[in-house]
Amino acid sequence: MLQGVNRKIGLILAILSIGYLYMSYQLPTYSYIPVDADAVPKTLGWVLLVLSVALIFSKDNDSEEQKAKRRIPKTDVKALLGVVALLLIYIMLFETLGFIIMTVLFVYFCSWFLGYKSHIVNAIVSIVFPVAIYSIFVFMLQIKLPQGILPF
Amino acid sequence: MGAIEGILTGFEVAFSWEGILFVLLGVFVGTFIGMLPGLGPISAIAIMIPITYGMDPTLALVMMAGVYYGAVFGGSTSSILLNAPGISGTVASSFDGYPMAQQGKAGKALAIAAISSFAGGTISVVLLMIFAPMLASVAISFGPPAYFALMLLGLTAIASLSEGSTIKALISAVVGFMIATIGIDPQTGTGRFTFGSMNLLDGIDFLVIALGLFAIAEVCYLVMNRHKSSAGSGKEIGSLKLSKDDAKEMSGPVGRQSLLGFILGILPGAGATIASFISYIAEKRIAKKPEEFGKGSVKGLAAPEASNNAATSGAFVPLLSLGIPGSGTTAVMLGAFLVLGLEPGPMLMGDHPEVFWGIIASMYIGNIFLLVLNLPLIPYIARILTIPRPLLISLVLMFSLIGVYAISFSVFDLYLLLAFGVIGFLMRMFAFPAPPFILAFILGGMMEQSFRQSMTISNGSISIMFENNISLVLIILSVLSFSFPIAKSIWSKKKVS
Repeated sequence: MLQGVNRKIGLILAILSIGYLYMSYQLPTYSYIPVDADAVPKTLGWVLLVLSVALIFSKDNDSEEQKAKRRIPKTDVKALLGVVALLLIYIMLFETLGFIIMTVLFVYFCSWFLGYKSHIVNAIVSIVFPVAIYSIFVFMLQIKLPQGILPF
Repeated sequence: MGAIEGILTGFEVAFSWEGILFVLLGVFVGTFIGMLPGLGPISAIAIMIPITYGMDPTLALVMMAGVYYGAVFGGSTSSILLNAPGISGTVASSFDGYPMAQQGKAGKALAIAAISSFAGGTISVVLLMIFAPMLASVAISFGPPAYFALMLLGLTAIASLSEGSTIKALISAVVGFMIATIGIDPQTGTGRFTFGSMNLLDGIDFLVIALGLFAIAEVCYLVMNRHKSSAGSGKEIGSLKLSKDDAKEMSGPVGRQSLLGFILGILPGAGATIASFISYIAEKRIAKKPEEFGKGSVKGLAAPEASNNAATSGAFVPLLSLGIPGSGTTAVMLGAFLVLGLEPGPMLMGDHPEVFWGIIASMYIGNIFLLVLNLPLIPYIARILTIPRPLLISLVLMFSLIGVYAISFSVFDLYLLLAFGVIGFLMRMFAFPAPPFILAFILGGMMEQSFRQSMTISNGSISIMFENNISLVLIILSVLSFSFPIAKSIWSKKKVS
């Protein structure tokens, strides 16, 4: 089973390298350039292919500590997926609703979702940080962050 | 401009009130992030980059350098108090620091760590001041083949020195290089691997990779350990005072290991982590009572602490004088230079003496600040460790997202950030080291360019790589560093059978 980990990853990487190689061979070339834009990608593709085959046949020498990292408890998987979902919502609505609204909501709900119970502290932190950062970027550094539906 | 004038300019920058302020800010943030288990110096630097937009480049870099060595300095606190190293460079410090803390001598351990770090940092800045200009004056004559060979050596060295499987480290480096080929090829204008997307024409920004592979991936582990309290709350730290005997016992290892750490820091591939382990082992070998190591030995704590801080200054030698990073962390430092519109390398000392010498001079002040922050103030600063994990996670995510958005103003890059976060997490899960990836990503473009320049000079003949003595030696070294781990594994297999 453990040997299977290297075998699976090696296989995935080999497929990726074949895809990369295929695209490298599609790159246009010009006759008067000694080393064209396709040379380095082709080399990299072949090197990765060789390395992934080597990985398929190599023993899994990871330490027990490393192997323990591969087993993630179900509750943690849920927590990680939850954070990813929150991030996706944040990114999707970021430009529409604006930096301040989205970031305040994100910091508050992400902390709450991960088990932070003190609502007052959470509310203060999730309002103070985004507003302070927005002010620094927009008014001091002159870097425009999306204002969204807020008037400032 | 002569060297003396340059040094004076540097001190002028470092001792201006802005200089002092930004060094202080840098080392404070570095200590803070370094102390938090899980977040390392790469994340610390990457998170700080967006804050420097629009700042004076010299001050910005003085601050970033402070973040780097501050993180290595601060990482020891959590190694000692919690046995949870803040960064990988301070893992060796927990071997004797934590037992010492358990014996009720946490204060003494923190004091030894701070003083050794200070000594290591300061001794190595003096060495940096001597060696960086020397190397820069040699490197000024390097042509494209020598540069290509140098970068090749950097990559093979980091891959072969990485912990764990060399194949995995090499895969990590090759994939990093592949990601660097995305975008328009600067020499021919050919769009490569852009899948027809406008967003990929300029390639992927290094901040997306640095924050994704490090900050976001590290946050994933914080999410998994969110219920663990990181505070040794209420625990008495005890007296910070050291006896004369302690000071005497420390002086030997600190002196020796500062030197060794500095040399290891200069070498490509090695860095604070490797330096601290080698120094620990070296001191144990020569110690009169090696059995004390691991049970709270003063020497066992002083050695890695002097060494890891010396290695951080050592790592600045190739970065400042050659413009070539030897480790993942210095690769991100190079990225910070490029974001600010500066290119480190042999020309930096002549063209921007205020940057070159300013960074070096500021390290003296930074180390003094760190000593103050980490000695008398440490009981207060250690309370940082009581920040609730959920809040910390949300805020780090927020900083990462803003950092990426403010550099590209593109939501597409935010999706990429998330994708690289997932990749970084999977890499950690399956023990693929991330530093070779970021180093190859940053060196990739430069390597390809110097390779193709060399080929243009020689009209397509590869022999140009072997005609020049410097590049020949470097290529031989790369081949050796590449084949060493393979030979070693074959050798050990033979032994077993």
